[in-house]
Amino acid sequence: MSRSGSLRAYLLTRVALAIPTVLILLTLVFVLMRVAPGNPIQAALGGHVSQQIIERKTHAAGYDRPILVQYADYLKDVFTGHLGQTITDKTPVTRIVVNNGSATAELAIAAFLVALAIGVPLGVLAGRFRDTPVDTGGRLFGIFVYAAPVFFTGFLAQLVFGVKLGWLPTSGRVGPVTEFTLDKPTHFYVIDSIITGNWSAFGDVLRHLILPAITLGLLVSGVLIRLVRVNMLQTMRGDYVEAARARGVPERRVVIHHAFRNALVPVVTVAGLQFATLLGGAILTEQTFNWPGIGAALVRYLNLRDYIAVQGIVTVFAIAVVVVSLLIDVINAFVDPRVRY
Amino acid sequence: MTRRVRTRLVAAVVATAALVASGCGGGSAGGGGAGGTIIRGTTDQPVSYDPAGAYDLPSYDVIYSVYQNLLTIPPGGNKPVPEAAQACDWTNSTTYKCTLKDGLKFSNGDPLTSEDVKFSFDRNVEIADPNGASSLLANLKSTDAPDPKTVIFHLAKPDATFPFLLTVASFAIVDHKVFPADKLQPSDKVIGSGHYTVASFKPGQQTVLEKNPTYTPTYDGDEAAKNDRVIIQYFNTSSALKLAVQQGPANGGVDIAYRSLSPTDLSSLKSASGVNVVEGNGTEIRYLVFNLKLMPGDNDAQKTAIRQAVAYTIDRDAIANNVYDGTVQPLYSMVPQGLQFATEAFKDRYGATPNVDAAKKVLADAGVKTPVPLEIWYTPSHYGPVSGDEYAEIKHELDSSGLFDVTLKSTEWEQYSTDAFTNKYPVFQLGWFPDYPDANDYTQPFYAPNKESFLNISYSNPEMTKLLADEVATTNDAKRAADFKRIQEIGAEDAPTIPYWQGKQVAAVRDGISGVEQTFDPSFIFRYWLISKSS
Repeated sequence: MSRSGSLRAYLLTRVALAIPTVLILLTLVFVLMRVAPGNPIQAALGGHVSQQIIERKTHAAGYDRPILVQYADYLKDVFTGHLGQTITDKTPVTRIVVNNGSATAELAIAAFLVALAIGVPLGVLAGRFRDTPVDTGGRLFGIFVYAAPVFFTGFLAQLVFGVKLGWLPTSGRVGPVTEFTLDKPTHFYVIDSIITGNWSAFGDVLRHLILPAITLGLLVSGVLIRLVRVNMLQTMRGDYVEAARARGVPERRVVIHHAFRNALVPVVTVAGLQFATLLGGAILTEQTFNWPGIGAALVRYLNLRDYIAVQGIVTVFAIAVVVVSLLIDVINAFVDPRVRY
Repeated sequence: MTRRVRTRLVAAVVATAALVASGCGGGSAGGGGAGGTIIRGTTDQPVSYDPAGAYDLPSYDVIYSVYQNLLTIPPGGNKPVPEAAQACDWTNSTTYKCTLKDGLKFSNGDPLTSEDVKFSFDRNVEIADPNGASSLLANLKSTDAPDPKTVIFHLAKPDATFPFLLTVASFAIVDHKVFPADKLQPSDKVIGSGHYTVASFKPGQQTVLEKNPTYTPTYDGDEAAKNDRVIIQYFNTSSALKLAVQQGPANGGVDIAYRSLSPTDLSSLKSASGVNVVEGNGTEIRYLVFNLKLMPGDNDAQKTAIRQAVAYTIDRDAIANNVYDGTVQPLYSMVPQGLQFATEAFKDRYGATPNVDAAKKVLADAGVKTPVPLEIWYTPSHYGPVSGDEYAEIKHELDSSGLFDVTLKSTEWEQYSTDAFTNKYPVFQLGWFPDYPDANDYTQPFYAPNKESFLNISYSNPEMTKLLADEVATTNDAKRAADFKRIQEIGAEDAPTIPYWQGKQVAAVRDGISGVEQTFDPSFIFRYWLISKSS
């Protein structure tokens, strides 16, 4: 098979596998929401609602129809982008996904950049200077930031940089006034503030992003440090590295161009998997920093026992993880030809 | 990377860092340059800004600011005065007539007429939203609007509290041209005739109110808003709220943190720089409820004795000081101090401090074997983060008397709110906010016979039932005072519920914020329009 043919076959296989994965996840979400005890309408409305009202609302929500009909409608709604309306505050779930999902995505991307900026250089240094204080320090740092709970790191950062030093805000995605006045064509505030030329808002957005992004990014950087270090150790022992040295290539060039580039290939795979960790970690980070992301919305609607909102949000979470995994597979196929075969 | 590209990259990073470090975003945008913008932080989440769908304090806070009622409670007062109404009065014992002021308008320019008032009450009953307060209108037979300025309410039976009902946010006046008759209006699309308009509402994030430029003050002491805009920012936790008020609006925080900071947070904020803790009268109460069917005791006399022994033993001062750091005050009647007709019936009967000897005697006289096993239920978060500490304190007080053997049990509100009222818990914790600031609202719901009381604890006392019917049927203050005095005495004697604290309204405000104290009164109306900020 030609190189392009093998790539196409690989991608088609991955896409084909993603479809049943999504279906299984959607089925699980549907079943879990239905086997949860109690009537979702009654749960959301509290304990003092008359049976008549519960029956009326249950009928209106379609919870009294056969389970297979509900399942078919649920799948249809998901694939047509209709996730329903929350029971408690009558907000379309798609609006929550757009508004809060963009907040989570912005935080996750920023955290990922932080993780790369910290994890990769420290991993490279630790690998290059094996068994030196640099290596030991890097490994200890990696273990500490990975082991420290997000809320602990976050609270510490809030106290130091927010309260003691007064440098950075401790909550929210942006200041209250900017939240109201900023035009939000994309709902990604960094982008919105740039394309609307609102530089005051841009500074505000970045200031609010720093602490949550670093808190969440540190968590993932711990994994990257160890991974990059191990890969660096392996590639530094490679024949092609020895050959480069033998040819008189400068050590810096050997490390960056020969060892580091090859060490990055497995990092791409693991970094993709870390996206799911970021989503999980984002829920805790959002709670700590009052970040209005989809994780915070999920917790809020769970507390309100709003099953329609929870079902919609969990559905989007599931699809997001599958889509990102698929993207990582695609990128991997381009970066590392071996995975295609 | 070429040297030129690298130089540009470095320049961009330095410029961005300078922008961030200068604080021009968070600082000025956060509030420094906003002039008349007041930012309030809260952990309370509203349900609906349509009056027909609201029966909760966070929604009421906004509804009182955006709409008008026929009557209202003025700042510092505890009796209704006309708001949208020019005057209201009884024409007979079951007919209440109001005439409207001239020139009232909604913020969209529509005139406010009696048709809107009738529409507001009719739709409230028609929608009967589970989160609304239509149940309070059970005694309203019909509403007439014979001409554009006159509204007539026909009641099924005499009700002295009806004027108070007209002050409740759930019965605010809506525009019949905007609101649907059979369903709720979305919270971000509501129209009222009050001090503000709703400029934006994002559930879980923020509500923005903007001053209604067409509003004209309608009663003595009323005034146009002292600020141009109010932003209500929602927080997930009280610790995040505390940090936000410590930081202030210049750093992306808030001017006011109100509901709900924990007692520990409030204590720590008292010494924080730039922050002041302000207090005022509050009418929120906590009380212990006994289910007369399930509580221990072989007969009614023994059960009464056990309740009285608990009333003798509880140390209200210890709860207020040890658990709440003085942010609540001991309560000796179901009717809190500050309301008309409130007495201190429990203090009169059981004393201000614990009396274990008296408790021992009352149990012995009834032939109750001690220690009495008591299973007490509480809910750990619905009534604030310190309910666990509160009930640990109560257990300690009762156990250490040697007369009781308390087992504490708890569950979250979702389960608790069903089980507590369906004969599952023998003794349990509850709290109460006023629907309206009248003693009736603190007695009728608890002391009425089973089918009329939401408590469902099988309490019934014929004298109490008659007194409750009498007080609600008369508008004579002297008669009501005598009735309520006796009602509270019987309440203390029978003790189906034991009140133990009354909350103060407490807020943490930044330097330069004034007016919050003025709005803290028994009506629980948070009047944003009274709050101002000096530069």
